[in-house]
Amino acid sequence: MNLTQPESLKTDLTTWIIGPYHGSLPAPMRLSLSLDGEMISDCHVETGFLHRGLEKSCELHSWKAAVAYSDHLDPECAIFGELVLCLAVEQLSELEVPERAQSIRVILSELARISGHLSFMVRMAKAVGSETIIHYLLRDRERILDLFELLTGARFSLNFLRFGGVSADVTDGFIERVLEVCELIRIRMKEYNDLFTFNFGFLKRTAQVVPISKRLVLASGMTGPNARASGIELDVRKKFPYSGYSKLDFSVPVGRGDSGILGDVHDRFLIRLREITESMEILKQLLDVVPSGEYLNRKFKRDFVVPAGEAYARVESSRGLLGCHVVSDGGPTPSRVQFRTPTVANLMAIPQVVRGIRIEDLPVVLASLDLGIAEADR
Amino acid sequence: MKESVFSALALYVQSVFRGAWSIAGSCKTALPYLIRWGDLKKEVTEGYPDPISSKTADDLPTRSRGLLFNDIDRCTGCRDCEVACPSRCIRVESEPGSDPAKIWVSTFDIDFSRCIFCGLCVEACHPGSLVHTKQYEGAAYAVPDLVASFGRGQITDEHRNKWAMMRKLGESDGVAP
Amino acid sequence: MMTSENSWIVAWSNALGFPEGLPQWLYAVGALISVFVFVVVPSGGLMSYLERKLAADLQARVGPNRTGPAGLLQPIADLFKLLQKESRVDWSWKENLWLSVHTMALYSTLAVLPLGSMAVLVNTEMSVFLPFWSALVLALGTMLLGLSQNSVPGWFGGIRVAAQTLAGSFPALISLLCTGVRSGSFRWSALAESQGFSPWEWTVFANPFQMVAFSVFVMSGLVLLAIPPLDGGLSMSDIHGGVSSHLYGRRLSLFQFGRFYGFFFWSVITVVLFLGAWDLPAQVTVSLKAGGANQVLALLELIWLLLKTFGLMLLIVWVAKVNSRSRVDQITDFTWKVLSPFSLFALVGASLWAGWRAI
Repeated sequence: MNLTQPESLKTDLTTWIIGPYHGSLPAPMRLSLSLDGEMISDCHVETGFLHRGLEKSCELHSWKAAVAYSDHLDPECAIFGELVLCLAVEQLSELEVPERAQSIRVILSELARISGHLSFMVRMAKAVGSETIIHYLLRDRERILDLFELLTGARFSLNFLRFGGVSADVTDGFIERVLEVCELIRIRMKEYNDLFTFNFGFLKRTAQVVPISKRLVLASGMTGPNARASGIELDVRKKFPYSGYSKLDFSVPVGRGDSGILGDVHDRFLIRLREITESMEILKQLLDVVPSGEYLNRKFKRDFVVPAGEAYARVESSRGLLGCHVVSDGGPTPSRVQFRTPTVANLMAIPQVVRGIRIEDLPVVLASLDLGIAEADR
Repeated sequence: MKESVFSALALYVQSVFRGAWSIAGSCKTALPYLIRWGDLKKEVTEGYPDPISSKTADDLPTRSRGLLFNDIDRCTGCRDCEVACPSRCIRVESEPGSDPAKIWVSTFDIDFSRCIFCGLCVEACHPGSLVHTKQYEGAAYAVPDLVASFGRGQITDEHRNKWAMMRKLGESDGVAP
Repeated sequence: MMTSENSWIVAWSNALGFPEGLPQWLYAVGALISVFVFVVVPSGGLMSYLERKLAADLQARVGPNRTGPAGLLQPIADLFKLLQKESRVDWSWKENLWLSVHTMALYSTLAVLPLGSMAVLVNTEMSVFLPFWSALVLALGTMLLGLSQNSVPGWFGGIRVAAQTLAGSFPALISLLCTGVRSGSFRWSALAESQGFSPWEWTVFANPFQMVAFSVFVMSGLVLLAIPPLDGGLSMSDIHGGVSSHLYGRRLSLFQFGRFYGFFFWSVITVVLFLGAWDLPAQVTVSLKAGGANQVLALLELIWLLLKTFGLMLLIVWVAKVNSRSRVDQITDFTWKVLSPFSLFALVGASLWAGWRAI
């Protein structure tokens, strides 16, 4: 049978430019799509609409102010930007971090990871058009933001970490409230499963939709949950432990292809749900024994100067590997601060990922990649 | 393995019923919210501005970083906050006060349109005059209205005369050292 | 159009003090306008309020609570707000043409809307099928409205609406036949007479096949008119509303009200076909008729019918709010591969059941 199209039926490609602001986009970016019918045949990604000159701003102000700036790297989970900068500077200036401070840092990062994954699920729910769960998820994330507010005084831009520790000790009742929130989210997990994981409509939209192969993950440099969903066991917390993660007992969830194909949208969703559970395990272990002692290294003083040199640190943010390269010339301001953000790799992969999919799947795929444009454009 | 017609049919019917069951189940999940059952009756959103239901500034934790306030009587005009500020939203100008040992803080402007509420200035403040209040309602109709001025204003001849008078009487002039 | 059964309009107009012996067409026009103004528009307002309150309750929110007691006046506030919206300056005759075709197809169904035993305008052997004709013209209007917009979302929205409607009309039609099999006629009045007030006299609970037919009819109606949750053609997040993505101001409110009206009239038809129509308890009907209180009876019937309609609509809204939206290819897939076989199954079963009962 001859399946080639007759000449007269050949259709041209349609160009459709989405963005910078559009309902199917999680954040300001522009996609130039070439459509063959309802299939995407090519895609060109344009970013930079949220460029704030963050790295350059770090160079213009003091080292302490750089922490306040790194907050804004990813406004949703600010703690990771701060943590990675602090780790890099501490490495450079050989500043010891007290155990108590490390514990507080890990508590904050795990809370931020849960909150980041909850907001990921919100975007996912928006993409598949499931309205009710959005409010449930936001309600639970609000509890975590309340915790941040209790401890640090701010909900989003925490500016809580300092070189050599944290800026304040835990307040009374904070630990109990963290445990309460963990318990709450554990109960809510049933709701998420009903409305998401095992929901027929959600499975229809996500299962076996747009799998990302291991090869593409490796080629594009994707890290974090997206890479793990495709079966690559890469977690900075395990591979390059920092802040006392090596002492904790936790496992890293890896995609299993529960819905048929390894690395599809549902796997990428499920890996986050399982990471929330894992983060709660970590939190419970930490909260059982918060080490006593100082919360800030006393060597860190007002006239703190970072010695000349350079250092690189990496943490596992809720989106993947977040790296920070700092260069100091011994002066009062950083000579260069550069971030390696996971979203850039995800953005680079978009053209390959979306080639050949239906445009209805585009919002779902973009949401499942968990793009944080703020940290990509910085 | 080759499927028989009947097994295929059974699978088909099973999948249809599983879908219906799942949709009914998800509707059931939302039911407690609808009939206000158990601990799920509390609404997440609160009316705003609503003096009864919504949060007030007093409900916020002690560490909340709200709008900044500077107690000018204690301010020494040392400019540490100005240096510490990452967004350069603080402008301090000071001049010698009634006697050279005392500082008259003539300008202390905080531009809340630029402030990121990071708290570094409060940390840097030696005399502890600059604090975060719990106030968060700082909306204004125009950007210039967002600048909060805490300064005492430029020193005029009137001030100088007053100080001279007070010094004569041996009274304190009320300017912080 | 005017038959002896439609003398209710004349009775109403006389009761309201209009002069007797007006021309027939005036009666008909008056009836259509009064149905729209006194039934459809208030239903739209009430339904929008109920829908928002239901969604708010499901989502642990407050919902409208500022205008009037418990936010009851919100629909009126919305109406005034929408009326003062400006329409676009650049004027496209194509868009206006197809928007008017769309609107006319939609509101032509007013003529066949059954609202009570004494409020049926067109009551013929085929009146049940007239909504399908309207729905198909409506789909054509919507499709061309989308294609006339010169934008990718509009094109895709239009094509998707057409695909959905074609898929949905088949099972809807087949499951409709099931009710005729039971009542023996497609006359609105006959369909209502074959049912009763209590739920076990309703067609839907008459036998399992009617139950299947009912489910298929409701779902295929959602597909046919692109109503959430099966509204892949109109509100997917990728095309941002599809056909309506480039409409705004008054035109958008016209379009959105049209979508509500489609939902409403489909629910009314479903209630009439399957859920006991407007049937009140027999003794109430008889005593009211004997007392000559026909207008009271008509109002009671209308209220009972609308109550059931709102219940059905809120149930669908509930499902739509909680579940995710389907892709349009999944909707057509579902319609052809699930709804159509089930509707045929229901038709065969219902026919056998009716034949067995006849023996």
